[in-house]
Amino acid sequence: MSILELKSEIEGKAEEEASRILQEAKVEAERMISEANARAESLKDERTKALIRELETEGRAELAIARMNKKGELLRVKSEWANRVFEESGKRIGQIAEKGTAEYRELLGKLVLEGIAKIKGNEFIVEANSRDVELIRKELRTIMETAAKIKNEKVEVRTRAFGAASLGGVVVTTKDMAQYYNNTLEARLSVARQNLGGEVYKILFKGGE
Amino acid sequence: MIRILSIEIRELQEVIEQEKAAEERVRRAKEEAQEIVKRAREKAESIVQALESDPYKEKLRQAKREETARKKAEIEEEFKRKIQILDKTAEESFEKAVEYVVKGTLSAET
Repeated sequence: MSILELKSEIEGKAEEEASRILQEAKVEAERMISEANARAESLKDERTKALIRELETEGRAELAIARMNKKGELLRVKSEWANRVFEESGKRIGQIAEKGTAEYRELLGKLVLEGIAKIKGNEFIVEANSRDVELIRKELRTIMETAAKIKNEKVEVRTRAFGAASLGGVVVTTKDMAQYYNNTLEARLSVARQNLGGEVYKILFKGGE
Repeated sequence: MIRILSIEIRELQEVIEQEKAAEERVRRAKEEAQEIVKRAREKAESIVQALESDPYKEKLRQAKREETARKKAEIEEEFKRKIQILDKTAEESFEKAVEYVVKGTLSAET
């Protein structure tokens, strides 16, 4: 081998080695970038899914709260209507009592007798507003006769006007004041509100929303 | 004889020089290779880091906000209709309900 050939071989091998090193580096660089791209894609996919889950949970909660608030509003509207019914009923009952018609006088008698029937004893005081006391006094004999039949004994009933204003109706107490039965129209309206509320809702809303 | 030896030494020196140049060539190639790998590593890091500043998250949030707002508006409309129907039904039945309460309140047991 001549000196020229030797020099050429050295140069060639060096070039070959340098090319191999650079080629390997390029392959390694491409692999790193490719892996980074794949990792970024995978991370993005993973994070996107997590974010979508998070946002959907948030969205569902927000909508549930909005729906709940609206349902509350709906209930308030219903309640307001029911309140209006009872307010109007109170006014009408007051007007009926104010007129003092035969039907109302009959009702007063029944309210007294209901009170007497509900509590024990045979001596009672019936309290009412002064207008109703007058009406009751006119029917007192009949009331006492009917009360005696209910109690199976002689019944004594006295009347007394109470100071406080009242729509009408009566409070029946035993003579010793140990028992009483509030049968004023206000008390009856209050009981009606508790007992008839459900039916009032049905009438008002006909089982709809 | 001296001349022949002199020629051989010169040639040997040339080979050594060639050898040194070859080593230098390989050393530069290694340096260049290291630089290529370093740049690739930096680029790979920047690809992953770019995710953090990618606006896709904000776009998703915005899309979801808009969807939720649209659904809330639908709920608003749905209940507005329901309340209108409720008011109408209650208004029509109001008188009947009042009569029922008045009758119920004024009906004594005896």
